[in-house]
Amino acid sequence: MTDKNIPVSEDDLHAYVDGFLDPDRRLEVEAWLGKNPDAAAMVADWQRQNEDIRGLFAGRAEARAEDATLVSRAGNRTDIRSARSQARPWQAAAAVMLFVGGAIAGQLAPPYFTGAPQPTLQTAALPDQSRSAFLIYASDIRHPVEVGADEQQHLAAWLGKRLDTPLRIPDLSALGLKLVGGRLVPVSGKAGALLMYEDDAGERITVLLGRNEENRETSFRYASEAGLETFYWIDGPIGYAVTGEISRERLQQVADECYRQFET
Amino acid sequence: MPQGPDGNNRKPGSSSPGSGPFEDDVLALLPQLRRYSRSLARSEAEGDDLLQDCVEKALANRRHWRGVNLKAWTYAIMTNLYRNRYRQRARHPVVSIDEAAELPAAEVHGDPLERDRLVAALDSLPEENRAVLMLVIVEGYGYQEVADMLDLPIGTVMSRLSRARQRLRDQLNDSNIISLRRPR
Repeated sequence: MTDKNIPVSEDDLHAYVDGFLDPDRRLEVEAWLGKNPDAAAMVADWQRQNEDIRGLFAGRAEARAEDATLVSRAGNRTDIRSARSQARPWQAAAAVMLFVGGAIAGQLAPPYFTGAPQPTLQTAALPDQSRSAFLIYASDIRHPVEVGADEQQHLAAWLGKRLDTPLRIPDLSALGLKLVGGRLVPVSGKAGALLMYEDDAGERITVLLGRNEENRETSFRYASEAGLETFYWIDGPIGYAVTGEISRERLQQVADECYRQFET
Repeated sequence: MPQGPDGNNRKPGSSSPGSGPFEDDVLALLPQLRRYSRSLARSEAEGDDLLQDCVEKALANRRHWRGVNLKAWTYAIMTNLYRNRYRQRARHPVVSIDEAAELPAAEVHGDPLERDRLVAALDSLPEENRAVLMLVIVEGYGYQEVADMLDLPIGTVMSRLSRARQRLRDQLNDSNIISLRRPR
């Protein structure tokens, strides 16, 4: 009652493993497997793979608090980008993704678009460096900055010179944040700038700026690690990252404000 | 065959930018999209990036959505983004153990070493094959549904699935030949 019916094909074995066979066919395939131990061993391995792979990912369909932000952010970003340039945002994003992937794997991927220059600022490194800078300097009570807010003009001129681009220090007072000051920091091996702000309660946020030799734009991104939120983006010659131990919504306001003020 | 829980048949372009019905529908799909992105990517960070890019592209391209099966449409977008992302890297399937270790231990059962080997084997799959495998195994799509979603002949879907399974089996057996070799 087994082989006299339709012969068992490899497609049947896949459908058997994936539970797509009707009960009759399933019985036929099982009977056939009983007589074909090599195939049965293979099918058993496939079944185990299925279970193990589901075990890896089945629980990952999670809703997160930031989901609404992610969607509204993506929508807003799309609107801003289409207003600001003809470039389609996802093309820039796709190009950036390659480099993010390459950097994470410890190797820089060749550019997706033939002949495109390699960026000097690896996007993946930006949030990491911003987090490090925040952790090191924002916790420093006595010397969080090299140049204080009382010398703001000097700070802007100095850091702007090292960054080789005019630097306008954002005014975040509308958000209840006042400038603490800034310092020179290495960002991807080049001179970068770190600006620090704090609110009345002493809660600090940092804004990192790093040189990006390739004149391009990315979408607005965020990264979250161990309670630290980071928003980052690249706009022309400079990459930006805003980090704080505050709610994503609040940090997003800060990032929006910085983006707006740096733009002009 | 399992069917995606997607009953949205809204006209394309019927919502305004900002927060509208289209955004709400995308929002409702985020948990599943997150799982799919993570099953494709080689690290948590890459999965998050993939998800963000997918959402952005879906919103930017909403005009091109034909108004049926938003879920399958967004899955197709993510699959394409994923393929583009790795296309240039396919020749160098280097996987670091650190990345494998990023997976939270609580969410996988069994031996952590076995888990790491499975993750490494998955990361060695060509991206087309991995996408088909995950759509079937994790996302529960039928073969014909995958073919429709990715605009592929069903035979291509089956051969990708088959290659993915064989390669995983070879890799997992090869790298642990003593404990997995069966008595004949």
